[in-house]
Amino acid sequence: MLDLINEIWQTMRTNKLRTALTGISVAWGIFMLIMLVGLAKGVLNSFADGDFAKSANIIQIWPGYASMPYKGLKEGRLINLRDTDLGKIERENKEVVKYAAAQLNMPSTNISTSRDYISKSYIGVFPEAQEQLVMSHGRFINDHDLELQRKVIVLDKKSAETLFGSEDKAVGNVVNMTGLSFTVAGVYDHQWKSDLYIPYTTARALKGYDDKLSTIRVSASGINTLEKADELEKKVRTTLGKSESFDSDDSSAVWVWNRFSNYISNQKGMGILNTVMWVIGLLTLITGIVGVSNIMFVSVRERTHEIGIRRAIGAKPMRILKQVILESVAMTTIFGYVGILLGTIGTEILSRAFAGSDFIKDPTVSISLALEVTLVLIIAGALAGLFPAMRALKIRPVEALRTE
Amino acid sequence: MIHLSDINKTYPGAVPLHVLKGINLDINKGELVSIMGASGSGKSTLLNILGILDSYDTGEYILDGTLIRNLSENRAAELRNKLIGFVFQSFNLISYKDAMENVALPLFYQGVPRKKRNKMALEQLERMGLKEWSHHLPSELSGGQKQRVAIARALITNPAIILADEPTGALDSKTSVEVMKIFRQLNDEGMTTVIVTHDPNVGAQTNRIIRISDGLIVK
Repeated sequence: MLDLINEIWQTMRTNKLRTALTGISVAWGIFMLIMLVGLAKGVLNSFADGDFAKSANIIQIWPGYASMPYKGLKEGRLINLRDTDLGKIERENKEVVKYAAAQLNMPSTNISTSRDYISKSYIGVFPEAQEQLVMSHGRFINDHDLELQRKVIVLDKKSAETLFGSEDKAVGNVVNMTGLSFTVAGVYDHQWKSDLYIPYTTARALKGYDDKLSTIRVSASGINTLEKADELEKKVRTTLGKSESFDSDDSSAVWVWNRFSNYISNQKGMGILNTVMWVIGLLTLITGIVGVSNIMFVSVRERTHEIGIRRAIGAKPMRILKQVILESVAMTTIFGYVGILLGTIGTEILSRAFAGSDFIKDPTVSISLALEVTLVLIIAGALAGLFPAMRALKIRPVEALRTE
Repeated sequence: MIHLSDINKTYPGAVPLHVLKGINLDINKGELVSIMGASGSGKSTLLNILGILDSYDTGEYILDGTLIRNLSENRAAELRNKLIGFVFQSFNLISYKDAMENVALPLFYQGVPRKKRNKMALEQLERMGLKEWSHHLPSELSGGQKQRVAIARALITNPAIILADEPTGALDSKTSVEVMKIFRQLNDEGMTTVIVTHDPNVGAQTNRIIRISDGLIVK
């Protein structure tokens, strides 16, 4: 084996420039592959870390219109969701449903302080609506607020700055809204969310005249397959259908956003993204591989006489085949590793450049990726060497007798 | 050592070429013979067959007690490696290997470990008076030195016969004499040697001249 490596080293050294030029194309191919897969991984990481994974167990329901007749009722009816539905959902689906919460969207109104005012709508929520919201000051709506129908409000950072000058001055102070005074309980900071929140019960009291709600949010446990998620959705539809008089198969009666199915399809999308990156990377690599194959053909052709001599003095055909293929593998692997190294450095640079970004997170190369790429290199090298090696096999030992 | 009986060889083609038309030849152990003939006489084809580089159609070729017939490529390579030492007109050394590595190459294909085969190669080079040149590349050697390296390579496997194809064809007259001296010396030590040549001077220095003309041996 050592002898074979030595043989390969010698032949590679005799053609330094040619070896280097071919090597660059392989290194470039691998570099691109690593960068692309690294980027895809970065995007994947950011999604895996984001809202999707953590709130996968929640389904949201909005009222819709019945499109099917039900028990003598005509289609086209407006379906309402009401406070009483929450308890029904919880009771009838005890085994999976942890709780059912509601949201009540309130119309836009003027919210003012002595300093400034904003015109904005606000939402009555349960404490669970906080989800991943990070409070920069104070706290979110809690159970006591709901119990006591407290007049408290949670502001987004920008509104707090408008109303109080700076966000840290907001908590504990009062805003005027619909002629009532609301105490600011907390301020949150989020990239794109800017809703204002008050306790659900307070919103209900403000609205006064009915018990219709805007959104039901059902949190479930043990939802880990698409089937279970669909089953949960179906159960909730059945419960609501009985309660609000619509056919449970009527998909437009209530609109359901099943985050779990969404998560699954996102995952699928991520998988596809990853595959696409691999495909593009591999296609780039093929350019390099074809280069190696080409060079090996040239090399075999140039060394026809030499191979003839080797055959004449006793080299078996397999020996020649092995040498050409291993030479090709050695060339792709060595320069491939240069590419891996450069790619690793490249992704590290990307990682620094995108530090703090939500879209690309930690796009670095893992050990498993390096191993996969190594495997790809060995297979690619062997493939690149295969056809030239078969050409070399056809060289007959009589070639040795031909004078140059 | 070599027994050929009624060897026929035809190269197929649009007009099949009957090159060897029944060669009968015996070469004994320890003989130094030359095969002479004009170009196109079939001597190269005969050399190819003797060297197990090419096959023949009919007849029988026995080399050192082994029937050479319908061999697989692997078996042929093995027999060439063990039984035959080749010396070529253009030396056929591998340009990027030094003298020692070139001499050791046949042992590489036998799977002899590096240290051992390099030691043996040095011994052979010493025998050829080239010890100081063992780490020189072929391009740094003179024609005569190259041919001596080639002879050392032919000898390293301790073969049954040496097959030399125009071994002096690329050398000047002075070095030709030197090289022929080596062949005679080897013959004195008991090496069976077959030299293919068209140089009468070379032929004259062998024990027996076999003349071939138009695919047949001329008595």
